[in-house]
Amino acid sequence: MAQSTAHRRLLQEYKMLTNNPPDGITAGPVSEDDMLHWEALIQGPEGTPFEGGVFAAELKFPKDYPLAPPKMTFLGEVFHPNVYQSGLVCISILHPPGDDPNHYEHASERWSPIQSVEKILISVMSMLAEPNDESPANVEAAKMWRENRPEYERKVRESVRHMLGL
Amino acid sequence: MNNNSISLETFEDVADSTDWLSTPLSGLAAVEAALRCQVCKDFYKTPMLTSCNHTFCSICIRRALSNDGKCPLCRASEQEMKLRSNWSMEEVVVAFTKTRSDVLLFAKTSQDTIAEPGKRKLGDTEDDDSASQRSGKRLRSSTRLSKSRSIEMTSEMARLEADVPHQDSTDFEPDDGLVACPICLQRMKPLQVDRHLDTSCPGEPQPERTPSKPSSRSTSIPNAFSSSSSPKKPPARTFERLPAVNYSMLKEPQLRKKLQEQGISAAGSRQMLEKRHKEWTTIWNANCDSQYPRRKGELLHDLDVWERTVGSRAPTNSRTISLGAQIKDKDFDGAAWAAKHDSSFKDLIANARRNKVLMGRKSSEDEKKGVDRTHGSSKDKGDEPTPQPDSEMIASLDHSEEPQEQVDSVTQATGIIDLTGEIASSNASAGELSDREDGAVDLDASSRTTTI
Repeated sequence: MAQSTAHRRLLQEYKMLTNNPPDGITAGPVSEDDMLHWEALIQGPEGTPFEGGVFAAELKFPKDYPLAPPKMTFLGEVFHPNVYQSGLVCISILHPPGDDPNHYEHASERWSPIQSVEKILISVMSMLAEPNDESPANVEAAKMWRENRPEYERKVRESVRHMLGL
Repeated sequence: MNNNSISLETFEDVADSTDWLSTPLSGLAAVEAALRCQVCKDFYKTPMLTSCNHTFCSICIRRALSNDGKCPLCRASEQEMKLRSNWSMEEVVVAFTKTRSDVLLFAKTSQDTIAEPGKRKLGDTEDDDSASQRSGKRLRSSTRLSKSRSIEMTSEMARLEADVPHQDSTDFEPDDGLVACPICLQRMKPLQVDRHLDTSCPGEPQPERTPSKPSSRSTSIPNAFSSSSSPKKPPARTFERLPAVNYSMLKEPQLRKKLQEQGISAAGSRQMLEKRHKEWTTIWNANCDSQYPRRKGELLHDLDVWERTVGSRAPTNSRTISLGAQIKDKDFDGAAWAAKHDSSFKDLIANARRNKVLMGRKSSEDEKKGVDRTHGSSKDKGDEPTPQPDSEMIASLDHSEEPQEQVDSVTQATGIIDLTGEIASSNASAGELSDREDGAVDLDASSRTTTI
């Protein structure tokens, strides 16, 4: 009983993800002592240059979760228009409806307390498959994706191979 | 420190709708999901209906609305004032949660027995009667299972059916050899009916027509429900909902007074006061919605939990604030602190010294190579040599920044804490760092001059 709302809610989500994990996604707290810090593994979606890769990411939840969204950062390089060089993921579901720095996102796609880790990770998976070049976090990747798709795909495949140690 | 006292619910204790998925009753996962709040993902607690017809726990929707004023599901503008209690939902949740563990256990054990079919075929010689008697225990095969289940079912149905007509018969046709007058329903011998109709029938149904009839309608049937459902009139409310406050209209002393009037802490920054008041209003008003309001002491406990996890006493990532609070505490054990952190202080000092040496070496190198160096690269060079220690130093600075001041004030004010020079040495290391930074700036300046 004497737990923060965020803690209880994340415990519930953890249980949900353990009982019924979505395809290609694994996630859980790094340690059960700190429910506000998770790690996730996402498989590169099939039929995309990310196929075959397994991408580790870190999720940091705010104390007032689920009122505010977590921050998601890929651990390791991900060359993608919507991922900053630091690995930080820039995707509408992770943005609270209040601020829209880029003025392109519909409020309906933004964070709401009913969203969940599972929905975030599924969104990120589909983001890997279909970048949104309206909000380039990585301008170089966005430009390449738009203007030289084969080169973009080659570069992504190469980084996936590199990541797998091939 | 503050967190360890919190009793933690463990992963295994968490019940979730997905628990059903691994059982033959996987369809119940959807049923249970529909009984859970989409915000906290727990069973509805004091469910409230919004004007856009969505249901959330009272406290969840109130928090969400005070956060951004929109329904979390459809984002329609929504006002706290318009929330309505959804008592039927609460009844369903209570009824479901009461039986959940039994049904889940049943589903899980029946699955076990299905999972090991045909282990002992010999047992099948037993007749179905004994199987159905033992059906509560273990069953041998799936066919046997379904068979005996159906037997169980039929016997259960038979029992129910037997019950119902039995009740009806006591209601309408007591087995006393009498018949009811078709008009006034008074019971009499069949021969008397004609005469009764002609002479004494009052012409309308009489209330006390069958004295022998047990008042089962009015007692037994409602009883079956009244334990969990049929929301009683909520107990006379001593609780008044708190109005929403426009904080920008309030001066800080007024806000503090408001908090004091509520009997809650009025300490902390303005921002914290607003947050605390908001949370208290949410907790309080959600309690007002409840059919079984809790005492104020329990609400204060909830606020305390909030204070420790989200509010002013929440642990922060850099632990700066909790650290500060710890050091500020008047029972702070300076010697133990110094002993505990002795090695990390020493590391910091060593790091700072190493950096200084490193910086010194760098600066001389830079000066040597400075001539053929652009300004940009020399600047990079200035930042580059200590990425690892740098971040450590910054972390240590983060730590020392606030607590340091506090330590100073504590030592000044109380004069009891002799931090045995350890904190002082961390001061020193911070001082060295700032020296280093000065050095870096100087270095930059010097290399700039050399490039020019």
